[in-house]
Amino acid sequence: MEEKINREKYKTLGYNVLTLFLFLAIWTLAYWLIKSPFFPSPLMVFNAFLELLIHGDIEDVKLGMHIQQSLWRIFGGFAAACILGIPLGLLMGLYGRVYDSTKVLIEPIRFIPPVAWIPLVIVLLVGYFRFVFIIWLGAFFPIFIGTLLSVRGVNPLHIEVPKSFGASRFYIIRNIVLPSVLPEVLTSMRVGLGIAWECIMAAEMIGGERVGIGIMILKYAQLIRMDAIIVGIIVIGIIGFGLNEIFIFVEKRIFRWKEVVSI
Amino acid sequence: MEKELIDVDLSMKFDSLSVLENIRFKVHENEFLVIVGPSGCGKTTMARLLAGLQKPTSGHVTMRGESISPKVHNISIVFQEPSCIPWRTLWDDITMGLVIKGVDQSAIKKRAEEVIKLVGLDGFEEYFPKQLSGGMKQRVAIARAYATNPDLLLMDEPFGHLDAQTRYLMQIEIMRIWEKEKKTVVFITNNIEEAVYLATRIIVFSKLPARIKAEYRIELPRPRKLTTPEFLGVRSEVTEQCEVVER
Amino acid sequence: MSGRKVKIEVRDLCKCFGDLEVLNHMNFDIYEGEFLCVVGPTGCGKTTFCNVVTRLLPLTQGAITMGGEEIDFKKHNVSFVFQEPSCIPWRTVWDDIKIGLQIKGVNKTEVRRRVNAIIELTGLTGFEHFYPSQISASMKQRVAIARAFVTEPDLLLMDEPFGQLDTRTRFSIENQLIEIWQKTKRTIIFVTHNLEEAVYLSERILVCTQKPTGIKEEVLVDLPHPRDITDPKFVEIRNRVTDLVKWWE
Repeated sequence: MEEKINREKYKTLGYNVLTLFLFLAIWTLAYWLIKSPFFPSPLMVFNAFLELLIHGDIEDVKLGMHIQQSLWRIFGGFAAACILGIPLGLLMGLYGRVYDSTKVLIEPIRFIPPVAWIPLVIVLLVGYFRFVFIIWLGAFFPIFIGTLLSVRGVNPLHIEVPKSFGASRFYIIRNIVLPSVLPEVLTSMRVGLGIAWECIMAAEMIGGERVGIGIMILKYAQLIRMDAIIVGIIVIGIIGFGLNEIFIFVEKRIFRWKEVVSI
Repeated sequence: MEKELIDVDLSMKFDSLSVLENIRFKVHENEFLVIVGPSGCGKTTMARLLAGLQKPTSGHVTMRGESISPKVHNISIVFQEPSCIPWRTLWDDITMGLVIKGVDQSAIKKRAEEVIKLVGLDGFEEYFPKQLSGGMKQRVAIARAYATNPDLLLMDEPFGHLDAQTRYLMQIEIMRIWEKEKKTVVFITNNIEEAVYLATRIIVFSKLPARIKAEYRIELPRPRKLTTPEFLGVRSEVTEQCEVVER
Repeated sequence: MSGRKVKIEVRDLCKCFGDLEVLNHMNFDIYEGEFLCVVGPTGCGKTTFCNVVTRLLPLTQGAITMGGEEIDFKKHNVSFVFQEPSCIPWRTVWDDIKIGLQIKGVNKTEVRRRVNAIIELTGLTGFEHFYPSQISASMKQRVAIARAFVTEPDLLLMDEPFGQLDTRTRFSIENQLIEIWQKTKRTIIFVTHNLEEAVYLSERILVCTQKPTGIKEEVLVDLPHPRDITDPKFVEIRNRVTDLVKWWE
């Protein structure tokens, strides 16, 4: 059985490698057909990647630095979203009254895209907190709403068993509600992190800084250097993918009692 | 001779829908009372009322003269749906009631070992529910309910989701456990054969809104056999009283 | 029984999952218009058997043939009733029942005639325009039965269809099933865990062994309908089947 699963794994891996090669082949073909200075080949992009990695960009900032800065900003915004979103979600899930009474405020804010806040943020905040705020806006709602819904989705039977033994509210929250919502909270954190990372461009559009993967893309956009821009785009994609995979890995490790881990 | 434990006299409504109407009966100590009725007749509501998880619209449920409540009385309940807590091992699940009731560690250990043996799950203490079969999960729920030595043990269609054969095995099992450790049991089911096999007394509920249609004292000797003429006779008699749900 | 025409031949039926053999060389015939029950101990591979017959799983070896031809749902008319309610939530009773006829491209007047007839036979008159959420579990199972019978199938496979109903309701729906079967004379394979139900319904019972599943014995139930569960002859057959299954060992 295990052998079979392993074989399946390698098969999937093989198909993915094939997909990648096919994509690169089509890209190269398109390059030959289009023949435009604004459409680089995979090889040119790869060279730009090496250049950025080793020598840095036009201001001599290396790619690693850009990535590091962006990740640091994401981390700040994401942590803020978790610290606020999870307890608030738990509270409002447990006490439906609080959510129902604050709906008028929460729901409209949810639908304002983070980009819309940029002018305000430029005026009101400085430095690191500008980035954190924009990313926080993106990540907060998936985490908050996910947590809230997971609390409401706790199996009532699991609550009634201790209740029928005369358990206190505190016991039930600690021993039933928290462990039961944890997987879904983690899933919503994963979604939140994904969105936080997606917001990096929006956040770094604020300007005023020299380092960051989004800023790097903007720099090269002014020069119309497509190869470097594409490097930036691909790096964003790959890091997002990597973060997601790490999260899934952690989820699988923690929830051994769960039958399936959602993807 | 029979000591009265619980007195029930109530009606229950959900909004305008009347579910239970003038339900009046007593539960005696150490009896195995079976409530049987068609599906969707409010039996589960009756179980929740007896467990003190819900309050009747009018009337009362009292145990030894006091209004029933899980915080005051020692009640255990076995639900129809698998109610094992997925992230708890069998051991942690079974000891839950004892922990809540503040029993000290050594006593918990002793009692848990006892009931695990009683339901025949020794060796599975560190298993998670997903590793157990449907019948075993229900045994965990029964052990958990038995562990606290409840004054009232409620079973709400505990074998409803099991196949007919596993169900027979569980019936034999529950009888063996009950004869070893006598408890006051209120057992709810829609299966008449099961009712006649287990009960010292049967109360038949009508369909919605439920009323008490009939009451039988079952005095067949134990262990009962499902196909003796006496057994089949009682079963037919009870079946006569049960209503068919058309809609 | 010997005088009847063989409808379906099951020959050397094998099913393995890797090294695990689940069905072990099963051989049996099903006669035209027969009510056949398949029983066996819990976990004996009845589900696999159903899935093989319904072709949800491929066979490892052997064949199921009807009139000399390998069974094929495009060619032969086979219906199913499962344990889980299988009504489609957004279809009314009427629309649900006609689905099989619609797929087979039967014309509209014929659909109306047949659906009307089966609705009357299953006692669903007056509920044609109800949605599944508005009717009880036993009614849903009756819809499933009506849907299966309406296509006038060559073979009807029922996998523990009444497992979730309360006893009294189950008896009433079982009686109805017998009545429909006697009127329509369809061939039925009925798989169940409930031995009393098997003896109550069928003409012949195949008792299966524990995994790998083979056929232990055939039991003929030669009693007229409606049967009485307290009849000594009935009890005798029931005890015999119980002894054969011996699931507790």
